[in-house]
Amino acid sequence: MTIFRTAPSARSGLSRRTLLTLLGAAPATAALSAALPGGFRARAADAQLNIYSWPDYFSADNLAAYAKKTGVTPNISTYDSNETLFAKLNSPAGAGFDLIIPSSSWIQQFAAKGLLQELDHSRLNLASFDQDLLNRDYDPGNKYSIPKDWGVLGVVYDPEAVGGEIKTWEDFFKAFEKPEVSGKIRLSDSGWETIGPQLWIEGKDWNTATSDEIRAAGEKVKALAKHVKSFSGLDPNAVANGSIVLAQTNQGTGRAIIGLNPKLKWVVPGPFSELWVDNYAIPKNAPNLDQAYDFLAYQLQPDVQLAETQYIGFPAALAGLEEKLPKDTKNADLIFGGKDLDFSKLTSFVVNPDTIGTYLQVQTEIQAAAG
Amino acid sequence: MTTPSRSSLSARSADHVVAAIPAAWLAVFFLAPLGFTVVFSFARSVFGGVELAFTFENYRTALTGFNGATFLRTIIFAVSASALCLAAAYPVAYFLARHTGRRRAIAVVLILVPYFSSFLIRIMALHMLMSRGGFAETVLNALYLHGGPLDVLDTQTAVFIGMVYAYLPIAIVPLFVVLDRIPKPLLEASRDLGASPLKTFVFVTLPLSRPGVATAVLLTVVPMLGEMVIPRLLGGSKGVLMGQAISSQFLQSQNYALGAAMAVLVLLAVGVMVVLLARLTKGFAEIGQ
Repeated sequence: MTIFRTAPSARSGLSRRTLLTLLGAAPATAALSAALPGGFRARAADAQLNIYSWPDYFSADNLAAYAKKTGVTPNISTYDSNETLFAKLNSPAGAGFDLIIPSSSWIQQFAAKGLLQELDHSRLNLASFDQDLLNRDYDPGNKYSIPKDWGVLGVVYDPEAVGGEIKTWEDFFKAFEKPEVSGKIRLSDSGWETIGPQLWIEGKDWNTATSDEIRAAGEKVKALAKHVKSFSGLDPNAVANGSIVLAQTNQGTGRAIIGLNPKLKWVVPGPFSELWVDNYAIPKNAPNLDQAYDFLAYQLQPDVQLAETQYIGFPAALAGLEEKLPKDTKNADLIFGGKDLDFSKLTSFVVNPDTIGTYLQVQTEIQAAAG
Repeated sequence: MTTPSRSSLSARSADHVVAAIPAAWLAVFFLAPLGFTVVFSFARSVFGGVELAFTFENYRTALTGFNGATFLRTIIFAVSASALCLAAAYPVAYFLARHTGRRRAIAVVLILVPYFSSFLIRIMALHMLMSRGGFAETVLNALYLHGGPLDVLDTQTAVFIGMVYAYLPIAIVPLFVVLDRIPKPLLEASRDLGASPLKTFVFVTLPLSRPGVATAVLLTVVPMLGEMVIPRLLGGSKGVLMGQAISSQFLQSQNYALGAAMAVLVLLAVGVMVVLLARLTKGFAEIGQ
């Protein structure tokens, strides 16, 4: 925390949840839900629902409405990274959860360890989803997961300092050496988000690149590290006031920045960029399976999805949400990654035990080289 | 001459019980995890787990190349930040001990109160102070000490400022306690024998404050060795230190064995420092009693 412990999968900015994690709200949220009077919960006989999620990742109004409707108040515990979620589910302490929210990058690891159960598609209305978000490489056929919300890796920049338009990751890296830009750059703290763009420039796939290829691409980024100002979570004010003029970030933070300073620009550079998706998944031995499906059905209603989108600041996964937003929503297109976002040019990272160590090691070296 | 009564015997066994509870707590929640860490540090790592083995491979990886450089840089960093902290704390403690008189309780409280607020909140506040257009910029510009926007955030300077700021109170307190207990007659004797105030300080006050110096260094250098938040919030996560390196091995790389070896190395470094600092106070009898 996120601000700055942003280790999780793909988050490269100061999202609502990283900030809250940073500020220690995670334990507070957990304590709060634990402190709910037991009698309140027990109202619906033995019905229960235990959710393990990122902090503050469900609209409070939606949760309250669900509790009112069904008599079941979801018990929410929180984690601050996929790694923490993995470690917990992989231990005896992980038993008892009915619904978890792993990120796209980790679904395969969870499934391979036998921690997830296959979803019963007959109990979910998959047709209502934005079809661009279904059947993606990280979970073909959505066997184990359905999307909750999503984001993209993009770039926010000051066109005046950069001296032109950024269209590709090549443009992005070329801008580093400009005197108006050098020392005012923010890169992600995630290895695949800094090295991935260089791999895409070289025409490689970040999920199939070998350790040697990752290292070679990483060395090129390392050579540019001296121009970088920060790898920590991005403070929108730092870009708005010119401390940073070129920054990798997600569209949520990008929209916050452009809201503060409309002269700045947002782009999802080519040839490829990242799509990360946080997903609903059900642990293998979830004790309250029916309740989990019931909650999912509730979550997937259009009005609920719209409220979730407005609450967390990242788009929920139902089709046609953009049209449903209130007309006066500022920069509404940025919530959805900008105008004309091409999903065929987006790729999701998948953690692979053989190469993840290289990504992390080289990232650590890049950050050290900047110091 | 009396023999111990039954009641004092049972009082003594009650003492043992009372002492046994925290001892058991320590054994379960401190020694056991420490034992696991040591065992892991000799094991072989698989993704998200370890295979028990006896190998020095993790230590070799942790001490060579990039990891070795990180270890060295962390020690240099912690020692120099601690020295800076000490340099800032000593004059404050000296002033408190000698010049605050009856108001010293208030002065000590004023120094400690910020320390009782959340660590993160304090560092975030410093972040806001030092950011562009922040309070520090306004003040420096108004005093003509600096011109234009202040870009100190995300630099090593900012990290050092943060470290000194965050750990200053716990360096001041032990120094204050020791300086306060130096008997006044010793200082008067030194002056009577013709020593200048500077000489008195160098040959009387400073040597007598050694236990305070050792405690202050220990209390600051140990947390600084594992500090993760300040480099992240104020230093832009550049120039990686051991704290970050260990957490990334455990959490992101899921390499528990290497992370454990690195943690044990930091523990050894702390051990060495404790021994060195103990030597600094060797032969030191409690004063002022």
